[in-house]
Amino acid sequence: MKRYELLKQLARLVTAEDLVVTSIGGVKPEWYSLMPSNGTMFADLLGCATPFALGVALNLPHRRVVALDTDGGVLFNLGALCTVGKELPPNLTIIVLDNERYEGVVGGPPTHTSGRVDLERIAEGSGIPCTATVREIENFFESATKMLSDGQVGLLVAKIEPGLFKDIPPERAKESDGIEDKYRFMRHIEKLEKISIRPRYALE
Amino acid sequence: MESRLASLVIEGLKRAHVRFVVGLPDSMLAGVYVAAEKDPDIRYVAVTNEAEGASVAAGTWITGGRSVLVMENSGLRAACEALARLGLVNGVPVTMLMGYRGDLGERFHWGVNHGMTMEPILKALRIPYWIIDREEQIVPAIGRAVVHGISSLYHTAVVFRTPLVDEGK
Repeated sequence: MKRYELLKQLARLVTAEDLVVTSIGGVKPEWYSLMPSNGTMFADLLGCATPFALGVALNLPHRRVVALDTDGGVLFNLGALCTVGKELPPNLTIIVLDNERYEGVVGGPPTHTSGRVDLERIAEGSGIPCTATVREIENFFESATKMLSDGQVGLLVAKIEPGLFKDIPPERAKESDGIEDKYRFMRHIEKLEKISIRPRYALE
Repeated sequence: MESRLASLVIEGLKRAHVRFVVGLPDSMLAGVYVAAEKDPDIRYVAVTNEAEGASVAAGTWITGGRSVLVMENSGLRAACEALARLGLVNGVPVTMLMGYRGDLGERFHWGVNHGMTMEPILKALRIPYWIIDREEQIVPAIGRAVVHGISSLYHTAVVFRTPLVDEGK
């Protein structure tokens, strides 16, 4: 299963009402090309997609929130799964794109999930009630559909092949930096929720 | 009974419209965690380390849920990478409240290093901070730190030093 194909399926399930938080890595340009709306926070930190998405989910319990995390990202901050298991936000779904390697690093050295480490079992042991591991695109769509609609927190490990999708059309290429990404997401939330997060003048 | 310190911190948080307290417990601000967890207007989120806490706090903040991260000052070291990325790359602020472990007069050998590194790290990350030691500073310090986070879109910190906080046992 290739990440781009998986993300194409996910794009069918995510609506304009939903919010997505991505990890760093190849997922960012690929997801942006498929879902260039402002409902995604492209967080630029290994290990922060799940805890950041947890914060979003706790603050906006009426919205579905998807964390697009990676094996490297989850391993970097395993404690975050325990916090998710303690808080149990019913509107949060964590999708772990597990290619069993640090793809952005020269040579793509393996992560621990290339061996005996099983993120699904870790998630289960952390108290996350709905977990699964999928290897085929059909199974991914089926599991993701269920997790996004079952009203409970879930973690789906998707075993994917390494490799970056190389044919993103130029008009769909992500050129924004982290600051622009932040503003787009924040203003999107302000509009969506009809609130003011960063007013022109901050009043005490 | 809630300590005077905890009551004033909660008052400061409420006046600043803070709804989330993300925390990893420490002795100096021990009463604050308990008070936050009990308060019906505040959602307390316990985390497993301060880097994770910074990300959770950033996630609530950027979607309109003002938050603070409460921790020992050693947590600043644990959260460095998260704070650097969230602040310098994305510009999503985290306001931190921390006890000044390792201040002059520290009684515990293990706490001395926290004091040696806290201010250099805050300065290296260019985080504006206010070290307070009097009760009347608590509410305004929290308010100013929260407001500065909004206007600067960058982290801020309030550091509680003795005699305001108990050094613990």
